[in-house]
Amino acid sequence: MFPWQKNKTEAIEKRKVRKISRNMKDNVAYIEEQYSFGVNFDFESRSLQGPAAKYHLFFYTTTVSTKQLNDDIIKPLLASKKPIPIDRIVTVSSLNSIKNMDDVEKGLNIGSVIIFQDGVAEGFEASIPDFKHRAIEKADNERTVKGPKDSFTESVTTNISMIRKKMPSKDLIVESIDVGVRPVDPVSLVYTRDLVNEKVLENIRNRIKKITVDNIRNVEVLEQFLEERPRSLFPTLLYTERPDNAANYVSEGFVVIMMDNSSSCLIAPMTIWGFFHSPEDIYLRWAFGNFSRIVRAMAYLITLFISAAYIAITNYHSQLVPIDLLLAIAASRERVPLPITFEVLLMEVAFELIREAGVRIPTPLGPTIGIVGALILGQAAVEANIVSPIVVILVALSGLSSFTAANYSINHTLRISRFLFIIAASFFGVLSLLGAITIWLTYVVSLNSFGVSYFSPATPHTKSSDGTYFRKLLKNVKWRPGYLKPKDMDKQ
Amino acid sequence: MELLKKPLRARELVAIVFMIIGLKGGDTTPALFADEAQNALWLSPIISFLVILPPFLTLMYLLKKYKTKNLAELIKHLLGTRVGTILGILLFISAFISMATDMRNIVEEINYLYFPDSPTTVIYAAFLFICLYVANKGLDTIGSLAWAILPVIAVTILSVMFVDLQDSVWQRLFPIFGSGASVVIKDGISLSSVFLEFFLLTIMYQAFQDTRKFRIGIGIGGILSAMLIVSFYAVYTMVFDYNTIDNIAYLYQESTEVIPLGHFFTNISTIFMVGWLFSNFLRFAIFLYIVCWLYGALFQIKRFKGLLVPIGFLAMIISLIPPNFIVNELMVRKTSLHWISPIYLCFPFILWAASYWKERRKQ
Repeated sequence: MFPWQKNKTEAIEKRKVRKISRNMKDNVAYIEEQYSFGVNFDFESRSLQGPAAKYHLFFYTTTVSTKQLNDDIIKPLLASKKPIPIDRIVTVSSLNSIKNMDDVEKGLNIGSVIIFQDGVAEGFEASIPDFKHRAIEKADNERTVKGPKDSFTESVTTNISMIRKKMPSKDLIVESIDVGVRPVDPVSLVYTRDLVNEKVLENIRNRIKKITVDNIRNVEVLEQFLEERPRSLFPTLLYTERPDNAANYVSEGFVVIMMDNSSSCLIAPMTIWGFFHSPEDIYLRWAFGNFSRIVRAMAYLITLFISAAYIAITNYHSQLVPIDLLLAIAASRERVPLPITFEVLLMEVAFELIREAGVRIPTPLGPTIGIVGALILGQAAVEANIVSPIVVILVALSGLSSFTAANYSINHTLRISRFLFIIAASFFGVLSLLGAITIWLTYVVSLNSFGVSYFSPATPHTKSSDGTYFRKLLKNVKWRPGYLKPKDMDKQ
Repeated sequence: MELLKKPLRARELVAIVFMIIGLKGGDTTPALFADEAQNALWLSPIISFLVILPPFLTLMYLLKKYKTKNLAELIKHLLGTRVGTILGILLFISAFISMATDMRNIVEEINYLYFPDSPTTVIYAAFLFICLYVANKGLDTIGSLAWAILPVIAVTILSVMFVDLQDSVWQRLFPIFGSGASVVIKDGISLSSVFLEFFLLTIMYQAFQDTRKFRIGIGIGGILSAMLIVSFYAVYTMVFDYNTIDNIAYLYQESTEVIPLGHFFTNISTIFMVGWLFSNFLRFAIFLYIVCWLYGALFQIKRFKGLLVPIGFLAMIISLIPPNFIVNELMVRKTSLHWISPIYLCFPFILWAASYWKERRKQ
């Protein structure tokens, strides 16, 4: 263990050693000091004088439900005429006995009320949390026309309830693992007990347990700690905000990783195909779903290669271009002084600027970007003979195509790879472009996500329903993905 | 952690065999055969395949008999460490020379056809770098990559066939024995080591899910490659003719260059460069990997990936010695193949004799 972690674990140990005393005054004094009562404006320490006994309550006013507190805890306590134990008075569904001060802290953090009774060396934790979060809204980043519209929200209990609603089964397990120390955050693993591969699950658990960082607030940060190659261009966990997508993956034997404060979840292990498949492919009818896949496949190829191919062909292999087209290109470039590579790079960078600005710009100013982008960078640049119209078309096409990606994580991969290919193509035309593609592909094929080859089931080939490139008729989908080695392969 | 141990199956081997042998249909090998056989160049490889079949089957029989050994281990086991190592070195040197000359040919081809103004060394270095990167990722990745790229190459081959057949005249196959049956047969035998990769690939014998998959893979891959080579050579004969064919060095590119596709696309050879280059990157990545593996197995170097760079660099330097393509192809390569052929044709029988002798002694 690292020295800087020692202090924190020592503090936890100390709290665990400190037992709850029979003398309520001691307890109250200790807790009020620990929680800076008086400074902490939302920390409430309240004593109750019931007819039979004396009680003391601690809670954060901002995290518990006031109505439940009044109706189910304070009222019954004040009404009880005999000195009977608290757990027989309080009418809250979740009530746990606690013995030491560490439990007190844990309880307070998750929105519980801590109840002490004078003369009893035991406290009670009544869980009535009321953390505020966004309501369930429409999926914003992964939109579909056909299919469910709901999306995850920043509350893990709500999110799990959405998955449970989609998969009502006793085999759906939600396991919790703690990560971090300041404060400890629970990570939930959701999986199907009779499908998931134990090795994969154990691997994920171990990686989460091995994280030694102070705190991790949400899955977006957790993702980067879990990945095997954090510097790689390729994401190895699927990041999705759609509960239907998550439920589909869980029912195939994947593991969903969730945390509070994230309106998305992570799915592991993931192959590269998962990023290109949209849940809508399945919701649409066979022909429509496949058509949409073909269109997207074309878009990926365009966004990756069109600018690079243009540079390679016009710079090094102009003999390939039919003569009329070649003359047209030459005519449009007649008054452009820049070399082709520079011209393309200029426009690509301009497009990236528009995109980045479009994400950050406050909504009321949004339309400005469109005007600036379309008029100044497109029209005016051409009229000023800085770039040729063909390059504007190509860059617009490749930029547009990059947004057809079914998942946002892969969008960056495509866009950055595009720049690599453009630079590669400018060295030796098709030779270096194909070389770069070969190296790129070699890298993708050699990757590994939680023990699963990144390119499977295409290669190395494993038994699956062959839904990699095109989807099948649903009645012909017979197998779960074999690369996961699920406990039950058969789907029908 | 890996869920899948030894992921390679028969289909990956088919792809590997196809890359490393089948693609000789598209390099300078046809020019080598056409040099003497002229329009019967498509018959010579048939002879070659027939000639290497018995030694190859003998080798496969021995590998099947000694279940847990690959090529290098088998040689050492049967001939003893000393003699085995000498034979292994001979195999290594011949494979190395063959790889070096082939690589120079490919680089010359790229240089001459697409980048006539660039220095050969630079193109060579770029080419070698890509091959080294691929080879460095290991056999599993190479196999997977070969299988992943195979569709692109298959489409290329089919479209080349389609394009070439539009301008071919089948009567050009005649006279069927070109410059004479004896020339064709002599050429076929003496140049049979063009396909020496068949023997070298057996070093992978243990690397697959089970050895049966290796046998199936190399069988299917070999048959497909043979079909591809013979049909491609036949198409070259039908596109060019008797006298032209032995004057053309790069038959694959020339054949696509002379034929237009409709009125709009008049020069489409660069399109076919895509599949061709992919396959050549992979081909030499595999070749380099196998050669290093053989060397590593001979001298008990477990982590032989470290050898890739020195061996690749050495191959590049040595193959740059011949002054030009013609000398390299028609003198260096041809002469070396004449010397190499007997080694590869004989060594399986030597092994078999040793195995027979060993068994006799046991009894």
